[in-house]
Order: sequence, then structure tokens, then C-alpha cells
Amino acid sequence: MADVTITVDGVTLKVPAGTNVVDAARMAQIAIPVFCYHPRMKPVGMCRMCLVQIGTPKLDPATRQPLLDEAGKPIIAMMPKLQTACTTPVSEGMVIKTQSPEVKFAQRGVLEFLLTSHPLDCPVCDKGGECPLQNLTMEWGPASSRFDYTDKVHFEKPVPLGDLILLDRERCILCSRCVRFQDELADDPVLGFDHRGRNWMIISKSDPPFDSKFSGNTTDICPVGALTSSDFRFRARVWELNPIPAVCTLCPVGCNLTLDMRHERLMRVMPRENAAVNDIWLCDKGRYGHRFVEHESRLTTPLIRRGEQLVEASWDEALSLVAEKLEATRRARGGAAIAGLASPRLSNEDLYLFQKLFREQLESNNLDHLTGAPGEPAHDDLGALLGVGKDANLMDFGAGDAVLVLGADPEEEAPLYVLRLRSAVQRGAQLIVANLRPTKLERSATRAARYLPGGELAFIHGLLRELLTAGGRVTVKNSGFDDLKRVLNDTTGERLAERAGVAAETIAAVARAFGEARRLVIIYGAEARSAGPAVVEALGALLALSGKAGQPHSGLIALLPGGNSRGALDMGVRPDARPGYAPLVRPGLGARDLWPALREGQVRAVWIAGLDPAASMPTARTALAEAEFVVVQDLFLTSTAQLAHVVLPTTSVAEREGTYTNAERRVQRSRQARGPVGHSRPDWQIFAEVGHALSARAGKQTPRDDDAWDYLTAAEVAAEIAERVPGYASVTYGALAATGKPGAWGRQANEAIYYDGTNYENTEGVGIKLPAPVLTGAASINLAPRPVPVPAEERPLLLLSQPLAYGGDPLLRGSKLEQHVPAPYVALSGADAERRNIRSGDLVRLDSAAGSLTLPARVVHDVPPGVVLVPADLPGVELAAVQTGPRTRVHLVKLVV
Amino acid sequence: MLGELFKGLGTTLRYIFKPPVTVQYPEVKRPVRERFRGRHELKRFADGKERCIGCSLCAAACPADAILVVPAENDPENPVSHGERYAAVYEINMLRCIFCGYCEDACPTNAIVLEHQYELSFYDRRASIYTKEMLLAPPDKGHGDPPPILRELQRRPSPPAQIDL
Ligand code: SF4
Ligand code: SF4
Ligand code: SF4
Ligand code: SF4
Ligand code: FES
Repeated sequence: MADVTITVDGVTLKVPAGTNVVDAARMAQIAIPVFCYHPRMKPVGMCRMCLVQIGTPKLDPATRQPLLDEAGKPIIAMMPKLQTACTTPVSEGMVIKTQSPEVKFAQRGVLEFLLTSHPLDCPVCDKGGECPLQNLTMEWGPASSRFDYTDKVHFEKPVPLGDLILLDRERCILCSRCVRFQDELADDPVLGFDHRGRNWMIISKSDPPFDSKFSGNTTDICPVGALTSSDFRFRARVWELNPIPAVCTLCPVGCNLTLDMRHERLMRVMPRENAAVNDIWLCDKGRYGHRFVEHESRLTTPLIRRGEQLVEASWDEALSLVAEKLEATRRARGGAAIAGLASPRLSNEDLYLFQKLFREQLESNNLDHLTGAPGEPAHDDLGALLGVGKDANLMDFGAGDAVLVLGADPEEEAPLYVLRLRSAVQRGAQLIVANLRPTKLERSATRAARYLPGGELAFIHGLLRELLTAGGRVTVKNSGFDDLKRVLNDTTGERLAERAGVAAETIAAVARAFGEARRLVIIYGAEARSAGPAVVEALGALLALSGKAGQPHSGLIALLPGGNSRGALDMGVRPDARPGYAPLVRPGLGARDLWPALREGQVRAVWIAGLDPAASMPTARTALAEAEFVVVQDLFLTSTAQLAHVVLPTTSVAEREGTYTNAERRVQRSRQARGPVGHSRPDWQIFAEVGHALSARAGKQTPRDDDAWDYLTAAEVAAEIAERVPGYASVTYGALAATGKPGAWGRQANEAIYYDGTNYENTEGVGIKLPAPVLTGAASINLAPRPVPVPAEERPLLLLSQPLAYGGDPLLRGSKLEQHVPAPYVALSGADAERRNIRSGDLVRLDSAAGSLTLPARVVHDVPPGVVLVPADLPGVELAAVQTGPRTRVHLVKLVV
Repeated sequence: MLGELFKGLGTTLRYIFKPPVTVQYPEVKRPVRERFRGRHELKRFADGKERCIGCSLCAAACPADAILVVPAENDPENPVSHGERYAAVYEINMLRCIFCGYCEDACPTNAIVLEHQYELSFYDRRASIYTKEMLLAPPDKGHGDPPPILRELQRRPSPPAQIDL
């Protein structure tokens, strides 16, 4: 938009048209105090704190030209009354006065009036010390009040809005930031106003109360201490906190956060601004789900099995036993008899050393970062190969850009994407949501498509066909384009539309939107991946055929479980590829093949770091119980650890340094906030020590430093990763600490007027976005559609596991979110329930080719007929017993009790 | 020369007949001034409730970083102090304290007061940390009433910042 020239307090500057006066003044380094205005939300003009004097040039009614005075200057007509700066857009020649006596009088008046009913119990208020009301009163308010203190209204407090957020009615200044956040940004319109006048108050309208995964953000943006969290309530004063920059590892978004420590104790978690990742927000899982680091059941010393018992041991004992046993196994039976599983929560340093240990010291490729449960889909390479380009940032997606979310439920899999995608829609981007069942994001979509179960491939092929007939070309290195063309030409749009169950017009419109879009991002998640690699590959073809593959702003984003699945794939913690997706000629055993191999004695020793396969997989349990040697490395004594011969205690994300690669392949650094618990050690260090012992034993200590396994810090491991892993060349701890060009990042001098009191500012590094290999020409994509096996549909229902944000994640332990984990259930559609005469609460049995599982039923009206959903990873639900793969056909039998 | 000598001896002679200023400490203790700043005491209200609300303002004001406050939420059935919050841990390290009295100035409820006890000596450094139990006034030695608005209301009131208790 064109720039307009304005004058603020005598400073003349150009600002983009449409900017409001508050933001325009900030560009001139002039702060206009605000309460209700927030730069991420639409202005409402509720608090009157931002009153200023505004004048515009007088126009000649005939010529519409500004009238000039004798000196040749335009005559400015000041508006008769003060104006709210937050709701007034700038216009050409506008003159703004923020310092005049009238403005000061008004500001003092507004503050004095706000304080008439304010309790001023700052000493016990959790906001005290970072409270905009305190700060604005100090700077702009009157020194004393003319109102009698004893006349203040008082209310009962605190009023719980939900179990996480408490409301203090006396402190609320009714700015509606919280209500607007829930309505506009989170799309959980659960807050509202009630009553009038002095009794006007914020209420929660939902059941359960304050039902939102983003509720914690309202405590950040509330300009007073009216909303506080039950998680941080009365834990400490904010000035006593020591905020340590870290990265959330609970989902693939990789939000930047701070761990606010006091005396080695975690007091609260706050968002850290990163425009390319989480903006200024954090979901409740990240904010309230880090209590596990202080849980009293953390492991503190190594344990060694003596008979039936696991007894405490020293590190020397434990590590030499591990090295000795693994070495003995390798000598006796070769490296193929050893296998390793590492959690996708571990850092890149851990994962890199884990695979190095296995590949170089133990000569084994039996590596994976999954548990081997039948429900786990295949490894995802395309999310990296065709990953979003170096400059892609959903936060600057707007008009002319398009995002496709297919087969994903971002609210549960990667909650922060909901906020980012919604803000992109508000800026004018196209959001197309395609799923086989409804998701919350669908409400925000500019276009939604609901395909039939199993119809996803037809839907994508329909889009591809449209793009092809519209003359779509592929601009990156590829193979198999002709095969794709043939398959698409063999069918018709109508046939594909019918198979997908989506109207042909919708498919055509979506394809048109893709073709026209400047930039295109495709996000896919668990549901899409469960349909098999053909669907993901078709999405890659979709990106390519819309001409967006290889563009710096476009690409694929795969929502994988865990915080660092992408890092695990990049680091080669998988049986079939080395770091950097270099395929192996003779792949090892993946997690799924591991359990039978372990039972049959092909594999004798396993090392499991941070995963708990025994919790949910009967096969893993029996195999581990009979295995010759099992090492488990974890935070807690999990079911798997109880079967181990050696248990090694590790440090949590708060007690260690590390880098993590998020879904978009941004590598970010997390720092150490506290000392280790007991004798626990970081995972990379454990691997390095065993590596050192093994290489010493084998006498293969080479003069080269990096083969000596003598890393002192995580940074040294990162330096080796930068040297050896393709794509990570520039990723050193030094580079990760950069925050961009000075001035291009971070807060402006007076930004505190918006964001007061939070640790938003990012001074410790925004991470490095890795380039997608296709961009650099380093890789080529295969467009040939793979033949899709037609499932034998002898069982009528499709069982899908549904990832939940508050699922059975063991890391939720100790947090208030534990109460949000649902009791096990199977969700089915009203039609299916009726046919079988099932009501919510009835016990039903799911029968598949693999086995059966009994669960209470929950009839959910918007589940599509023919589909049953079971939450993934709930404690006590052994989905593995019934699943034959990511998608399982089942019978549903009502049990009569 | 000689004159000066006698002048000096004269002063000595004069002081021989004055009463001595030294006292036989520890048998005899000198009274201290009203505003003497000795060891702190954590006060109570007349109803026996603790005045301290665990706000940490004393700790924030302390130039020697001698105070540790760990707050907690009152159990409404059995509150330790008036209002929502109390100090679960309150410690002063008497070796760090410089007895400046800033904590007393900062306290919104007049809970921490430097009293007249000055006999502070320790065999080891740990013993110099006075815990809440050591600092608290006896339950029957409280003074003053919490302000009426805080007692009358149907709520869990918090002592406000601005009124003088
Ligand atoms: S909201 Fe701010 S001004 Fe009000 S009591 Fe809390 S800290 Fe004090
Ligand atoms: S609770 Fe906070 S954010 Fe919500 S209206 Fe009141 S002052 Fe504003
Ligand atoms: S008297 Fe001064 S130094 Fe001692 S605790 Fe109080 S504020 Fe700190
Ligand atoms: S300032 Fe007073 S009320 Fe606050 S913690 Fe210190 S002694 Fe307690
Ligand atoms: S009215 Fe403008 S900030 Fe509230």
C-alpha cells in the first residue's frame, strides 16, 4: 500500500497507509499508552487510554486540494475532541499530538478512573512487576487519587475460569483482550462478558470451562493481573525469575520458550518471540506441560539388574557393563544382533551420536526412532526433500498465498499452527482444509473438503488432473512425470471426484487456487500419513505440478510425532539411511521388524533411549522380557525400563543443551536451565562415554579427534554434525545464537507498551532454517504414482488412531494437564451406532485380523460413517493389539454386560 | 611545656571523679534507642494471624540480598495470614544483613520490623540463617487489627498496597 506522510509531535515521517496512529507513532519512537489495543488483534477502542489530538489538512471543497496558509503550509484542522489512536488510521498530512496538556489531562483522567475500582493489591498480585497498569500509572498517571480508598468495589476472588486460569474480577479493566484473543486468534470463543456496569465481568461460556488449548496466552496479554494461571499462582515474584531460553520438545512446532527458574526450580514457562515459529504465543501443553522435569519419580542413579531386582549402581559399573555386553554380542554374533531405538524427543546431538555409536562402533544399522507399533506410518522423507524453502514463513503469508492442510488435525498434533494459519487467513491467504473427518481448523478454512475414508488419493489425483489440464509443469529435477500423466489421463475428473466423495467443482476451485497462488505450503499429518506413502508422494507431486516445488517460500510441512522426528530422520536414526537421507544399500532392521527378530534371537541386545514400547505393545513386552541384554535410558522407570538389565538416568530438556529440528526444518538451540537431577547425564554424553569405552576396547583409537569420542560439550557434537551431516553445514552454536540483522529483529524501543511484562523478546537466537534439498538441486523427486494395494474390505469399519495433544504423553505427568487426558474410548458415528444399537458408554469390542480390544463407546455425531477413532497413546489402551497397520479394518461388537 | 603537661593531667584528674561509661556486659546491658535496628521480628495481627503476606518486597528492597521468601496460597479454611497469600518460607541471613531497615520500609503490612535484639553470634555460617519460626512474634504478642474492609467482605481479601495498617 502507498505510504502517507504524517507528523507526530513535530516529527514528520512516512508510514504505510492503513496503519493506525499508535503503530505509526511507534515508528517515530513515540509511545502512546494502550490497554485494550494489541498489535495482533483488531482495535476496539474500549479503554480510552490512547487518546491523542489529531488534525488533518483542511481541503478546498472545490479542488480537494489542501488549503495553504500565508507561509505556504497546509492549514491543519484539529478535531474538536480527543481521538482514540488505536482505532484511527493515518491519512495524508495528518498531524498528531501526544504530549499536549489536553492529552496528558485525559491520560491522567483515564488512569485515575481505572484505579477507582482497582484493588491495588500489587504485593500479592502475580502480575506485579510486569504489570502494564503499574507501568502506565507510573509514567502517565496521577500521583494520587481523589477517590476514597474505602469506597472501592470488592468482589469475591479468585474466580476460576477453568482449572488453569483464574480471574480476579477486581483487577479486570474490561479491555476484552482475552475475549478477543479467544474469538479472533484461537477460534475458541469460550469467553464472554456478563452483567453491566460495576458488575460487568468476564465469564467462561464453555463446558468444560475455558475449553481451549491456548488459554495461557490470555494471561500474557491481559494488561493487569486479572487473569493468572493456577500453574504459576503465588510461586514467585516475577523479578526473582531467571528466564532461560529453551525450545519446546512436546510437538513438532518447536516453539521458543523460556524456562523461568528460581533457585533451580522451574517456576513458569513463557513464550519467547520468534516470528518464524510461534510468534508471541505458546499452547497450554508447552506452557503447563513442563512440570515433568521436576517430578519426584525422575531416575537419579543408574540401575543394574541383579536377579529380579534393579539395584543402584555407579556410572562406571553401568557403562562398562553396557560396553562389555555390547562388545561381546558384536564379537559373537556381529553388529546385526544389536539394535537401538531412540526417541524423537532427543536432541540432534544425542541422535547423531546414537547412530554414530551404532554404525561406527557396533557396526549395526538396526536403528529407529519409532516403537514399532503397527499404527506407526512409514518414515517421511518428502517433508525434508520438498520441505518449505529457506525464506518460508507462515507469518508473512497473506493475500495471494495458499495453504493446504490435508489429513491433519493441527490443534492436536501441532497446536500452534492453528494460530499461525488463522492469522494467515486474516491477512487474506487461502486456507484449504481437506480431511476425512471434521477438525477445528476446518472452521477457519476459506474452503473445506471432506473426502471419503480412503478417498484422499483420488482427491489429490483430482487436483493433479486439474493442474495438468491447466498446463501445469514441473520445474525441479524429477522422474516419473510421464507415468503420472498416464495415470491421470487414464481417468476422468468426474470419476476421481466420485471416488474422493468431493464435488468436482470444489476440486477444480482448489486446483485453481493452487495454480494462482504466489506461494503454496502443504501441511499433512497423521491421518494423511496413515494412508500410506502414496498419499504423501502425491502431495509432493501436487506441489511440483502447481509449479511451487523448489520455490524459496513454498513446500511441504509434515507434522510428525514428538518434537524432533525431523531431526531423527536428518541424523539417520533409521535402518535405511545415513545422516542426510543417504540411502543404505543393506538396510538394518527397523523398529517394526525388531520385535520378531528379538524373539527369534536374531537380535540379542537392544538399547532403548527415551521410548517406552513395552507400555503399549504386548509383543515388545514379551520380546524384551526374554532378551539377552536390554539397556534403557530414560527420565522415568517406564514399563520398558522395568524390563531392562541396565537403566541409565538421563537429563530432561531443562538440564541440558541441545539443538532440535522442527517440522519446517528450522534448527533451534535450547539451553540448560538447571543442574542435573541426581546423577543423571545428558543422552549424548552417555553415548559418547560408551563410544569411548568401545573404541578403547577395540584398540581403534585413532589420532583423529572426532573418532576419539571425547566430546566435552554438546557444542562439539554440533560442530561435528555441521561438518558431516549434509544440510547442517552452517548450523553451529554460534550461528544459532544470531537474531538477524540489528533492527530487523526484536523489539522496538517502546514496544513494551504492548507486551509489557513477559519474556517475549528473543535475544538468544531465532534458529537456522535448513534449505530443502530440491532447492539446491541436490535431489530429484519421483512423481510416478505407486500402485495402491486395494484392501480386502471384509471388515466394515476403518479404525484410525487419533493423536491428541493431551494424550497419554508420559511427559504430562505432574502437570495440571494430566486431568485433561481423556478416559479411553472409541468414537463412532451416529449412523454406525444406531445400526448396532450402541449408545455412548456401552462397552464395545473391536475385532481385527490381529486381535481385539474392548473400549467404552462414544457416539460422536461428526465422525463420518464407516470410521471409528481411538485416541492414540492413551495409557492402558493397547491399540497395538488390534491394529494391523496405520489403517485397520475392524468389526465392532457390542458387549452385553 | 610544663603547663601543657599539667593541663593534660588535669583532664585525667577531672575524669577520675566522673561515673564510668563502661558497663559490665553481658551482666549489664545498655538500653538501646527506640529506633535501634537490631534483629528482625515478624509481627502478627492482634488476632494472631501473621502479618506477612509473602510478597517478597522486603527481599526486593534488601541491598544485601539477605532475605528469602517463598510464597504459598492460604488454605481458606485455615489461613496463616489475612488474604490469599502467605510466606511458606521466610529466612534472613543475619551475616548478610547490614541492618539498614529497608525491608521494614518496603513491607506493605508492617510485618518485618527490626527490633532491639543485637546479640547475634554463630558458631557456623548456617546458624546465621534465621527461619520463619525463629523470627515470628509469639501468637499472643500480635498488635493492630486488619483494616475493616478486609474483614467485612465476603471474599478472601488481600491487604492492599496503599493503606497504612
Ligand atoms: S494488576 Fe497490576 S496494578 Fe493491579 S494489583 Fe496487579 S500488579 Fe497491581
Ligand atoms: S481479564 Fe484481563 S484481558 Fe480480559 S478483559 Fe479483563 S483486563 Fe482485559
Ligand atoms: S535490614 Fe537491610 S540488609 Fe538487613 S534484611 Fe533488611 S533490607 Fe536486608
Ligand atoms: S515485605 Fe512484608 S509482607 Fe512482604 S514478604 Fe516481606 S515481610 Fe512479608
Ligand atoms: S482505546 Fe485505544 S488502546 Fe484502548
